[in-house]
Amino acid sequence: MTPTLISEPAPALAVPPADPRRRPRVADLGTPLLYAASLSTALVLAGLLIALVGLSPWDAARAMYDGSLADGAAIGQSIDQAAPLLLVAIGSVIAARAGIFNIGQEGQLLVGASVGAAIALFTPGPGALVLILALLGAAVGGALWAAIAAVLFYWRGVAVVISTLLLIFVANQAVSYAVNSPSLLREKAVAGQVTTSQTDMLAESVWLPRIGEYPDFNIGAGIFIALALAAGTSVVLVRSRLGFRIRMLGLNPKAAHRAGVGAVLIGGGALLASGAFAGLAGGVMLTGSGHRMQDGFADNVGFDGLLVALVARDKPMLAVPVALFFGALRAGGGFLSATGVPRYIVAVVTALLVLATVFPAAYAEVRRRRTAGA
Amino acid sequence: MRPSPQASDTAVTPPAARPRTGDEHPPAPSVLPVPVVQLLGIGKRFGAVRACEDVSLRVQAGEIHGLLGENGAGKSTLMKILLGLVVPDTGRILLHGEPAVITDPSAAAAHGISMVHQHFSLVDRLSVWENVVLGDRGRVDRDRARTLVREVGARYGLEVDPDACVEDLSTGQRQRVEIVKCLRRDPGVLILDEPTSVLTLEESRELFTVLRRVVADEGRAVILISHKLDEIVHATDRVTIMRQGRVVARRATADTDVRSLAREMVGRELSKWTAASAVGALDALIEPGTGEPTGGTALLDVREPAAAPAPDPRPPAGEVRLRISDAHASTLDRRPLLRGLTLEVRAGEILGLAGVEGNGQAALGDLLSSLLPLGTGRVEVCGVPVATGRPGAMHAAGVGIVPEDRHVSGCVLDMSVAENLLLADLSSVTSRGLLSRRRMAARARQLIEEFEIATPSPDTPMRQLSGGNQQKVVLARELAAQPQVLVAAQPTRGLDIGAIEYMTERLHAAARSGIAVLLLSTELGEILTLSHRVAVIHRGAVVGEMDRADVDTERLGLLMGGQAA
Repeated sequence: MTPTLISEPAPALAVPPADPRRRPRVADLGTPLLYAASLSTALVLAGLLIALVGLSPWDAARAMYDGSLADGAAIGQSIDQAAPLLLVAIGSVIAARAGIFNIGQEGQLLVGASVGAAIALFTPGPGALVLILALLGAAVGGALWAAIAAVLFYWRGVAVVISTLLLIFVANQAVSYAVNSPSLLREKAVAGQVTTSQTDMLAESVWLPRIGEYPDFNIGAGIFIALALAAGTSVVLVRSRLGFRIRMLGLNPKAAHRAGVGAVLIGGGALLASGAFAGLAGGVMLTGSGHRMQDGFADNVGFDGLLVALVARDKPMLAVPVALFFGALRAGGGFLSATGVPRYIVAVVTALLVLATVFPAAYAEVRRRRTAGA
Repeated sequence: MRPSPQASDTAVTPPAARPRTGDEHPPAPSVLPVPVVQLLGIGKRFGAVRACEDVSLRVQAGEIHGLLGENGAGKSTLMKILLGLVVPDTGRILLHGEPAVITDPSAAAAHGISMVHQHFSLVDRLSVWENVVLGDRGRVDRDRARTLVREVGARYGLEVDPDACVEDLSTGQRQRVEIVKCLRRDPGVLILDEPTSVLTLEESRELFTVLRRVVADEGRAVILISHKLDEIVHATDRVTIMRQGRVVARRATADTDVRSLAREMVGRELSKWTAASAVGALDALIEPGTGEPTGGTALLDVREPAAAPAPDPRPPAGEVRLRISDAHASTLDRRPLLRGLTLEVRAGEILGLAGVEGNGQAALGDLLSSLLPLGTGRVEVCGVPVATGRPGAMHAAGVGIVPEDRHVSGCVLDMSVAENLLLADLSSVTSRGLLSRRRMAARARQLIEEFEIATPSPDTPMRQLSGGNQQKVVLARELAAQPQVLVAAQPTRGLDIGAIEYMTERLHAAARSGIAVLLLSTELGEILTLSHRVAVIHRGAVVGEMDRADVDTERLGLLMGGQAA
């Protein structure tokens, strides 16, 4: 019983079964081609679109590059953008592996960030401690927001997809109310100044530490938190007993029930965990880059993180490069709009590129279901 | 024309005494007219699997043509090709001598080919007449539809109330509805796929009477797909035998017998045990006789049944391991599943629970998989009450189960073989919350060897194993947990002969080692081969119980049909 001989055929094997491994190999060859075709189509379309509004596609491409990869600062920007995306994606992966489709990360992220802001603004104490409390609070806030969907599902059977999605709108309104109410999070009036609907700036002592100085390469600590959690999640899912149970629940709930995996405990727990990761992403955005809550704070990070998980096919470590790519797109897009390309064109261009990366995975999934159904 | 049970024992009498329910029907003439259906050189591959190769079949008007073969022999694929559900790679189809292209089931219907599938396609909540006209175009004419159901029913002896709701009908009656659905389209060819698997003995006899009428009086052709030798011998005129995708023999039924059919179908002689449970040759089991060593390898010999099938001599009655008392349960929409089911299984015995499909066996399996909570009643394992429906409770109490549909609760298809050999029993391979790959692989290797599971490696996804090997994985895992009670629900359904032999031996070995075994099966042959005691389940309750030695199939059949006997 040597542990290393995993691939050696079992002694009892009399006739090798019809070789079912051949087909995936052909499919694997197809995948890079599919990505290439899909990306070039998106690039051509994006170029046409930019030319259509009277700008130079080449300049636009140049601006995208300058904003995301050209120098240390740009690369740092991309990495900073990737950190919350990766956190959201890890959470989505956990829920998806347990067979639950949480799509409300945008709302969980907002609620988490608000809880984090409240703690960071109003808790006295040494900065580092308050920072940690704020990040933990953000995670708890996101988890509690997801818990509403969990309770609705396990108590009343409300579909998680529906409830998490709709709770985004509730979160938007609730956070907007908090940020607009002077008694809650709205910035404190300074004599002679008009207040706007945003929170006070966080004290610098509770900002996430940064490495490096602009204009050189510089990144926030958020990416390290995200990487550590991605690695940890990967180990838990693949190697631990808990991960085994989560996967079992996701792949066959009935077999899992018989084997003693409680859907409420493990499935509900996975949904809460995914909310906690989204909330933590909000906390990292708050303490790492924005340093205050204001309208449009979430900026689609929740949805983009969901896409990262989809493209990474629910593998936490594969989510790392995908999140970096999406982060670069966001950074480049931000720079592009700063060069005078209309905001909406930038949005369409980045959306095209996102679609191009999502398409092969989605196509493969559709193919898989077709063949499984045949 | 309904033969009384004593007068014409279609399903259990030896072939010598075979009654012909349609005596007026002459045997097929030697000079054959143009066949209604002719399949020539049909071939079909699915990936590397050869489902059919050079298969030819000719079916004449006015005959019942048996299509015999084990599970996986290619019968179903062949019929799917005839119905236009599968496109053949090679070969031709001739209908009435004319080449025909059948692209989908509606084209097949237009050619007069109609099939009663093994699993019914009826809408439970609709009435009989609604089901019969379902899919018709134009205005719904309720009165005409009801008259139609009555007329077709009267013509073929398929009486069924057109206004009854399908969900209130017995399985036998539902099958009548399916047949009425087909016959009212006036098909030239009627195909029935394993039609008796859901019927009692009595209902099977009635069905064959109807079929005889369909072919004899109206010159239609019937194709009867089956793996049960008895019904082939008793009900068909000619038989085509398939093995591993090829036709191995064509016979006039009158010139053959159960023994030679079995040999041709399997390709070798069978032990009497297997013959009974695998191919439904009940005769060998019912004749009284003197004891033969357990697991006897006597060849199937129906004419001179020398021996009883001989399960072990009755084991000394052990203590009660599983006790279910007055169990009531229902679905969420309050349809009853179990109605006061009570049974006991003792250590070291196999209790066979016979019954027609759909009488609560699935609910009982779910109950013992912790998937169904009881309304009232209780389940005790070794005298200790077990909370029903709570995740993992039955497993923790020592109930192992080989479930009816292993894909639903028996295994996780997208996990590896090694992982499927664990599922609930993670403690032996876990330390500080982490799984040890080394110990997982070691355990998997040991079980793979011990249970002769054919898999390329322990890391192969469960999905890639054959049905028989998936079943072995489930059995290996459940036995490795050293259960007090082992439940086997339809453990051999869909398996080939080799796998059936294997399962049969393993269940016996389990009982010998002191485990209380509960066998749920709709195959009477399987029950009779394996059980020490036989109980009958009907409409969610146990309606009768007897020792194996006292079994009387006639009484068993009546109990399964719900008549007190």
